Amino acid sequence: MMTIAVPETAVRAGLWQRLAFANKTDLVTRVLVVAITIALLFYILLPVYWMLKSSFQPNQEIRVLPPIWFPTEPTAQPYTNANRLIPMWRYVLNSLFVSVTAAGISTIIACSAAYVLARFRFPGATIILGLILLTNLIPAITRVFPIYFFIQDLGLLNSYAGLILAYVGFSLPFAVLMLRGYFESAAPPELEEAALIDGCGYFEAFWRVILPVCLPGIAAVAIFTFLNAWNDFLWASLLLNQGEMKTIQVGIGDFAQEGGGVQYVNAFMAACVVATVPALVVFVFVQRWLVGGLTAGSVKT
Amino acid sequence: MASIEIRQARKAYGTLEVLHGVSIDIPDGEFVILVGPSGCGKSTLLRMIAGLESISSGEIAIGNLVVNDLPPKKRDIAMVFQSYALYPHMTVAENMGFSLKLARRSKAEIDQKVSEAADILGLQPLLARKPAQLSGGQRQRVAMGRAIVRDPAVFLFDEPLSNLDAQLRVQMRSEIKALHQRLKTTTVYVTHDQVEAMTMADRIVVMNDGNVEQVGPPLELFDRPANLFVARFIGSPSMNMLDGRIESIDGVTTFVSGGFTLPIRSTSAVKPGQEIVLGFRPEHLSLATSGSTAQLNAEVVVVEPTGTETLLNVTAAGHAFLALFRERLDLAPGDQITLSLDPANVHLFDKVTGKRF
Repeated sequence: MMTIAVPETAVRAGLWQRLAFANKTDLVTRVLVVAITIALLFYILLPVYWMLKSSFQPNQEIRVLPPIWFPTEPTAQPYTNANRLIPMWRYVLNSLFVSVTAAGISTIIACSAAYVLARFRFPGATIILGLILLTNLIPAITRVFPIYFFIQDLGLLNSYAGLILAYVGFSLPFAVLMLRGYFESAAPPELEEAALIDGCGYFEAFWRVILPVCLPGIAAVAIFTFLNAWNDFLWASLLLNQGEMKTIQVGIGDFAQEGGGVQYVNAFMAACVVATVPALVVFVFVQRWLVGGLTAGSVKT
Repeated sequence: MASIEIRQARKAYGTLEVLHGVSIDIPDGEFVILVGPSGCGKSTLLRMIAGLESISSGEIAIGNLVVNDLPPKKRDIAMVFQSYALYPHMTVAENMGFSLKLARRSKAEIDQKVSEAADILGLQPLLARKPAQLSGGQRQRVAMGRAIVRDPAVFLFDEPLSNLDAQLRVQMRSEIKALHQRLKTTTVYVTHDQVEAMTMADRIVVMNDGNVEQVGPPLELFDRPANLFVARFIGSPSMNMLDGRIESIDGVTTFVSGGFTLPIRSTSAVKPGQEIVLGFRPEHLSLATSGSTAQLNAEVVVVEPTGTETLLNVTAAGHAFLALFRERLDLAPGDQITLSLDPANVHLFDKVTGKRF
C-alpha cells in the first residue's frame, strides 16, 4: 500500500506562509499593506481603548505623563461614582426601553409596508415609494421645529411615548425601502406561491415562509433602528430632557457640562463605556443574522 | 384523481387580453403538455388552473368542481416550479412534509409519506439537508417529492426542467414520465421545448398568442399538423416550407414553385390556382435514384454529422432546406446532389389562412 505524504504547509498556509514572498516588490507591497492596516486599527481603536482603560483607573493615574496604558490596580470604583453623580443605570434602562420599543415598532410596521410594496401592484404604489424616498432627502435639522411642536401639541413632551414616536417616524422610511429590496431579492414570489399551493393562506405564507427566509434582512433593519435610537442625542435632548427619564446619551451630555469631563474623568469614562457597550453587545449577538446566506438554494440564481 | 375541464377561459390584464377563450378537456389520469413559444399564454393558463391567477371569464373545473373562486389550497393540486421554490430554511424532509403539516396530519403519518416519496425519488440520503446543499437535479427531485407527498388530484409542472443541463434534462424527462406511469395522476405540464412535449405527453396542446392551435397525441400533431404554426413548431429539425401555387398540368393537379413541380395526390382538396405553402420534413427527402419523381437539384451548404444521422443544409431553387439522412454521407460543402421527395409525405397549407388542406 502506498501513502502520499502531504506537507502540512501545503495543506493550510498560515499567515506567515501567505506573507512569504516571491520577490521584492511583493514584499514591499505586503509590508505596506500590513503597516497601513495596523496604523488604521490603531487610529480607530486608540480612543476606544483609552476610554475603556481610563474607566478602570484612579484619576491621578489617568493624568500621569507619560501615560499609563494598563491600569496598575484596576478598580470598578469609577462606575459606582458615575452612578452617584448621575442616575447612570436608570438612564441606561431608559435608553434601552426607548430604543428597543422604537426598533420593535418600526420593524413590525416596516415589514408589513415593505411586503405590500414589494409584492402587490396597486394604484399609487409608485407615488408612495417616491414620497418615502423624499423624506430621506430632507435634512434632519430642518425638522426640529415642526416635530417639536407636533410632539408638544400631542402632549407627549417629556414622555417615553413622544420620543419613541419620533424615532419610529425617523427610521421608518429607510427601513421600508431597505426591507422592500430585501423581500424582492431574497423571497421570490414563487416561494409564496409554493406555500399557497401547499395549503397556506396569505398571512400564513408570510409568517411561515417569507418571514423566516427574510430574517437576516429584518434583523438588520431592527438593529439599524435600534442603534439609531440608542446613539441619538439631538432628539432625546429636545423631547425628553427632564428628570430621571433622560436617555444615557443626554445624561452624558449633562455630566460633561457639569464638569464631569474634567473633575471626574474616570467616572465620566465609565459612563461612556456604559453608553457604548449595549450597542456593541447587540451587534455581536445578532451579527450572524446579518451575514445572510440563509436564502441560498431556495431558487436557482 | 380528477379530470380537468377548461371552458372558454379568458385572461385579460386591463384591456390586454392574453388568453382568448381557451377550452380543453383533460380526462382523469392523462398527461397533457401545454407547449408554445414564450408569451403564448401557456404559463398563464397553468397558473389559472393552480389558482395563482384569477380567471377573467370562462370556467375551470377540477374533478367536476368549478374552482374559479377557490384559493389554491382548496383545489387539491400540487405544483412544481421552474425555480423549484424550495423553502430554504427547511430541510428536505420538512420541505416535503410542509403541506401535510399544514393539514395537521400526525407526525408518524408525515414521516411515513415523506419516506415513501423519498424512496421513489431516491432522496433518502438527503432528507436532513437544506436546499442550499443540493445540486440542481436534487432540488428538482425535492420539488417533485413535495408534490407527490400530498397525493393530489392534479400535478402541475411549470417548465420544471429548463434550469437543468442537457444531460440531466433527458434523465429527468424519463423519470417524470415513469413517475406518471406509476402514479397515474392527472398532469398538466408546461414547456416551450417541443422535444419534451413529444417525448412525454399523452396529448399535446399547442398554443400561440393566447389561442389553442391544435390538440392531439404527439404523433398525430407530427403527422397531421393542423396549420402552418403547428407544422413549424413540432418536429426537430423543423419542417421545410416552400411557397407556390397549384396548377393543372396535363390534367394532373401539380404543385409548382419556380422550376420545381410535384404532382399532388388526387385525394387532396386543393384546386388549380390556389396559393399554397408546401411543407415536408427533412427526413422525407432522399437522394434521388434514376426512377424517382419530384427531383430537386441542390447544393450542399453545411454538413452536420451526429453519428446516427447526417443533417444537410442545402439550397435548391433559391430556397434553403434541411435534409436529414439516417446514413452517413460522404459529402462536402459545395457538392451538387439531387434530392427527391415522396408526394405521399407532403403537407399542403393555405397560404392565406395557414390551414391544412
